[in-house]
Amino acid sequence: MRSGSQREGDYPVRTAEICGLAIIDVSLSAIIQLGDRGYYTPKLRALAVQREEGHETAGSVYFESYEIFERPLPVLNDPAFEENEAVVIHRTNCSPRINVGCIFITAVGASSSVQAGNAMETVAESRIKHIRQYRRKP
Amino acid sequence: MIQFNVYNHALVVGSIEVLGISSSSSLQVGDTDYTTLYSMFDTPPESVIIGPLAPFPSPEGASQAIGETAEPETESEA
Repeated sequence: MRSGSQREGDYPVRTAEICGLAIIDVSLSAIIQLGDRGYYTPKLRALAVQREEGHETAGSVYFESYEIFERPLPVLNDPAFEENEAVVIHRTNCSPRINVGCIFITAVGASSSVQAGNAMETVAESRIKHIRQYRRKP
Repeated sequence: MIQFNVYNHALVVGSIEVLGISSSSSLQVGDTDYTTLYSMFDTPPESVIIGPLAPFPSPEGASQAIGETAEPETESEA
């Protein structure tokens, strides 16, 4: 659903204007972007293992042992959408900018993104498996 | 055929406060064509293992497997 024909008198591209951006923590392949982007396809796989014993003595863990990392993604079954025929979008921007005051963010992490600007296509994927392992009490 | 006409008039936001953005989520100030965000999170009952601390079973071809960098332990103390 790309934008359709451009009409006269409007603005083809809007600009994001932000007065301030305050972020405390950015971690784990997160992105802070000021500007436009084309394609963005981050992927995250995580095994979050909490153990009573140290990781050095308790052995390794493998992504291959768990089905969640192989499971196929859900599919949007919409043939008309795939043929690009169902919806024709005409966008008219009456204002050349988007104004935002100050943005306060405590933490950005795990392949997520904060962006001020325009994007074409974003396909993000994260798969996280939690495991907790305790010693049996005698 | 659906004709979908969008008129973006003035958009002015005072301020945004967010505690956390995580797991393939996105905060964007701007326009976009496509956004697809998948997130799978699994904490099943068997994720809590109480018992002898046996190592997790190694998958087939463990030497080529992607995991922790340490070599798998062959023995463990219960």
